[in-house]
Amino acid sequence: MLKHWFWFSATMLVVIWYSSITIYVAIRGAADIKHMLRNLAQGQERKREQNGSTPS
Amino acid sequence: MSGFVSHFTVLDGGIVGFYLLATMVAGIMVRKYVGGVEDFLVAGREMNVYLGIASLAATEFGIVTCMYSSQAGYKYGFAGAFPGIVNFLAMLVVGWTGFCVKPLRDSNVITIPELLDKRFGPRVRWATGVVIVLGGLLNMGVFLRVGGQFLISVTGLEAINLGTGVLEHYKLEIMMTVLLVGVATYTVLGGMLSVLVTDFLQFVVMSAGLLIVTVMILWQIGWTKLVGTVDEHFGAAGFNPLLNPKLGWDFVVFNMFLNTASVLTWQTAIARVLAAKDTDTGRNVYTRTSFFFLCRWIIPVLWGIAALSMFPGLTGPEETLQAMPRFLSTFLPMGIMGILVAAMLAADMSTDSSYMLTWGGVIYNDVLAPFRRGQRWSERKGLFWNRSIVAMIGVFLLFYGLWYPLKGDLWSYLAVTGSIYLASISTLLIACCYWSRANNWGATAAICVGALIPVSFLVAEQLPLTKDLAKSIGPNYAGIAAYLFTGLAMVVGSLLKPQSAPQQEESLPC
Repeated sequence: MLKHWFWFSATMLVVIWYSSITIYVAIRGAADIKHMLRNLAQGQERKREQNGSTPS
Repeated sequence: MSGFVSHFTVLDGGIVGFYLLATMVAGIMVRKYVGGVEDFLVAGREMNVYLGIASLAATEFGIVTCMYSSQAGYKYGFAGAFPGIVNFLAMLVVGWTGFCVKPLRDSNVITIPELLDKRFGPRVRWATGVVIVLGGLLNMGVFLRVGGQFLISVTGLEAINLGTGVLEHYKLEIMMTVLLVGVATYTVLGGMLSVLVTDFLQFVVMSAGLLIVTVMILWQIGWTKLVGTVDEHFGAAGFNPLLNPKLGWDFVVFNMFLNTASVLTWQTAIARVLAAKDTDTGRNVYTRTSFFFLCRWIIPVLWGIAALSMFPGLTGPEETLQAMPRFLSTFLPMGIMGILVAAMLAADMSTDSSYMLTWGGVIYNDVLAPFRRGQRWSERKGLFWNRSIVAMIGVFLLFYGLWYPLKGDLWSYLAVTGSIYLASISTLLIACCYWSRANNWGATAAICVGALIPVSFLVAEQLPLTKDLAKSIGPNYAGIAAYLFTGLAMVVGSLLKPQSAPQQEESLPC
């Protein structure tokens, strides 16, 4: 194990980091999607209102 | 290796079916938010950090990534994971310093050629668009085939006799078509928005599958046996690429060039920076995803080493490529097989959808730019063209994947095809942002040289007359030559242009 400490540490770090980041990103990413879709819907609403109020 | 029995069962099929249904529904549902071309190509620039991390990670890990990395693990041991170390460091440094990506995002462009237009003029923009599409599509051309091969191997379909009809003779073609139709449906309808939302789901499923399988390998086979396998087959060369006669300095140097250039200019990665809501968010996506680029090498390399411990002695490109899926099909128990296949499907679908959309975006935004000059296309017409281009790319992938015979390592093929544009576009981007003397003469010379060397190598590999020469040069030296001569061409071309000549270019916000 010690002989190949670099690859052992790298492998363990990968498993631990990746497990943690998956859980964290799963929670925060879902919130990001909600915000993104809400902003896009509001943008479309604004566009529709602008088009509606512009004299043609 | 003949006669292996896969553990894929009806339960596994149910897990895969449920995952596919959920992804398709989510991807198609968000299409209603696509109001215009910018929504379609960069999700209205509304992407935040964590969604960006999920999307970038899911995009840059496909079945193809898993296959070439595990092939590297099978053939070179831990030393095969070296490109992951360089990739991680390059992405961390670029995200941290904002090198090139800051001016790129600040300029509010949709693609890199659009930025180059501001400095080098519309002809350079068009030419870079063509080179990006050429390199990108050739690179992506093998994705569908490799994905189809993996799924057939891991589910055991390869060994099952489906009779004498179409199903038996065209297993690979049917698998490729099913994969393509699934991905193309939501990508064509929802563009980047569908890609981001499905990428998120795919990231979660993919990561769960990758981690479960890796922990099982470490638990059941054990670290000692994995290290012992590498020691037995390669000795010290299995842990250090510089000691491996098949890798060596040329492999290390080429990968340093390649990975730095891909971090700076690989359009699918850059698309996340450009879709970010601001420059800092884009840089954060890079910095915080950087370590994933080490994970995406080390995990499949471990799988490849595990395959080596079970199926030693395979030598041909096709055999070493198939070693890992065949190992997994016999190693994993019922239920976990379904999770693995769903994870790999997730990885592949997110990669294919992003790549189709990204190259489609460059075709629309830059290659078709001269046709839109002087007339403003309506959003409706723009969306129609974008969707049609994505669909046409899908058809190309299907036919190219079936016809192109892969020679040598999968990673070498991807590295050389990627270099067709990585060498020139990274040189142009750096010069555009940081060298005031750079001009369109240098840019044109760099594009020509950067594309010529890798294309010549690929052609030479296929021709009977020159294939021995190509083999003696090798993909690493061909790749290094592409980067060095492209840089030289940019410098010489720029210096040759008289400084008094009228300047076409505008200044950049960098």
